Amino acid sequence: MSHSDTVPLHQSSQSDIDEIESLINASVQSGPTTVLPARPPSPPRASIPVVSSSPFIQSNLPPPPPLSSSNQKVPSVPAPAPPPPPSFGASGFGPVPNTLTEPVWDTVKRDLSRIVSNLKLVVFPNPYREDPGKALRDWDLWGPFFFIVFLGLALSWSASVKKSEVFAVAFALLAAGAVILTLNVLLLGGHIIFFQSLSLLGYCLFPLVVGAVICMLKDNVMLKVIAVSVTLAWSSWAAYPFMSSAVNPRRKALALYPVFLMYVSVGFLIIAID
Amino acid sequence: MDLNPPAGENYANPKTCLFHVIFKAAALAFYILSALFINNFVIIFVVTVLLAALDFWVVKNVSGRILVGLRWWNEINDLGESVWKFESLDQESLARMNKKDSWLFWWTLYLAAAAWIVLAIFSLIRLQADYLLVIGVCLTLSIANIVGFTKCRKDAKQKIQQFASQTIASRVTSTIQSAFSVV
Repeated sequence: MSHSDTVPLHQSSQSDIDEIESLINASVQSGPTTVLPARPPSPPRASIPVVSSSPFIQSNLPPPPPLSSSNQKVPSVPAPAPPPPPSFGASGFGPVPNTLTEPVWDTVKRDLSRIVSNLKLVVFPNPYREDPGKALRDWDLWGPFFFIVFLGLALSWSASVKKSEVFAVAFALLAAGAVILTLNVLLLGGHIIFFQSLSLLGYCLFPLVVGAVICMLKDNVMLKVIAVSVTLAWSSWAAYPFMSSAVNPRRKALALYPVFLMYVSVGFLIIAID
Repeated sequence: MDLNPPAGENYANPKTCLFHVIFKAAALAFYILSALFINNFVIIFVVTVLLAALDFWVVKNVSGRILVGLRWWNEINDLGESVWKFESLDQESLARMNKKDSWLFWWTLYLAAAAWIVLAIFSLIRLQADYLLVIGVCLTLSIANIVGFTKCRKDAKQKIQQFASQTIASRVTSTIQSAFSVV
């Protein structure tokens, strides 16, 4: 008895219900058809641990277990999770790494390491800069979010009057500016993904954040000008390859000029705050 | 969807439920109460948005997984296209999910977004543009989670249906084949 399906039927005589149940189990083990595999690890980031923590599954088994066993699985977000018992994978989700059942601490670590690796890719010299599409493949918006808030805070701290307005203006300017710059590239017929571009522009703010912190600490005008111009040049250098490769070469200047303009205006904001 | 929690069972993951609710409630409470006590907009902004962002992360990465067995994210594939990925537990585990947990999950998600919309309307009436900014950010985060999880749930249902029809088709085929082989 053979059929076109990849899952073999059990030869032993079973009731229909048993066969269907075993089909479910077998295809869950063998197949990416019902459960999407977690994303495959890519070179610059930490690999996804293959852990299916059994208390998670156990908590759903009838009869309902005592609450303590399901409690022990669920740690608070900042606290590290207790190490989960050995993998349940053999009868659960097969050999495919599954992020659905990983401990919370692993998720935190994975996200943090992604932020750090994205930052390094964008802002520091590295071999992936030539191929921008691959460099920021794992975009995330947490880095940009923290940088924008931090920059706003630094500017607001340096301001002696109207602190709230400064913060609100800085935040709105940076957020709206990133969105508008991305739309600009898209409207110029460029090939860039919306969130990837937002993420990129946010990460390129990192040098300016450094510049703002320096200006916050020292009040010397000359020092401020130097610090801001250096970090401005660094930001523009960081953003250049990604933006320029996204558009038609004849329109490169049209795409890059507004980015430069925005960073210059943020730079002026940093210098002019007193 | 009913207004009352399903009776007869307790929460299976009380700590996760607590965290799911606590950041949302804290963000809303801080925003509402701060207008009475704190005069400094920057602090209100930063704390509220930070709590909302924490809540977004917790819902997306922790309570979504544990309470309803769903997860969504976005990836860029090798061709440079953006792909939305949805991941869900297999049908057995999904059916075994605690009903109270998932009731709490979905209801608090919707209620929080509705609360932010109400606050946005108040802000609009009072013409406070900077508070509208705060509410805008929090609302964006809530709506992103709602849309992501709703799509993920639809996708999971679709997969289950597909799998069910695939199973039925293969059973029918093999039954027919066995019938013929016997004959």
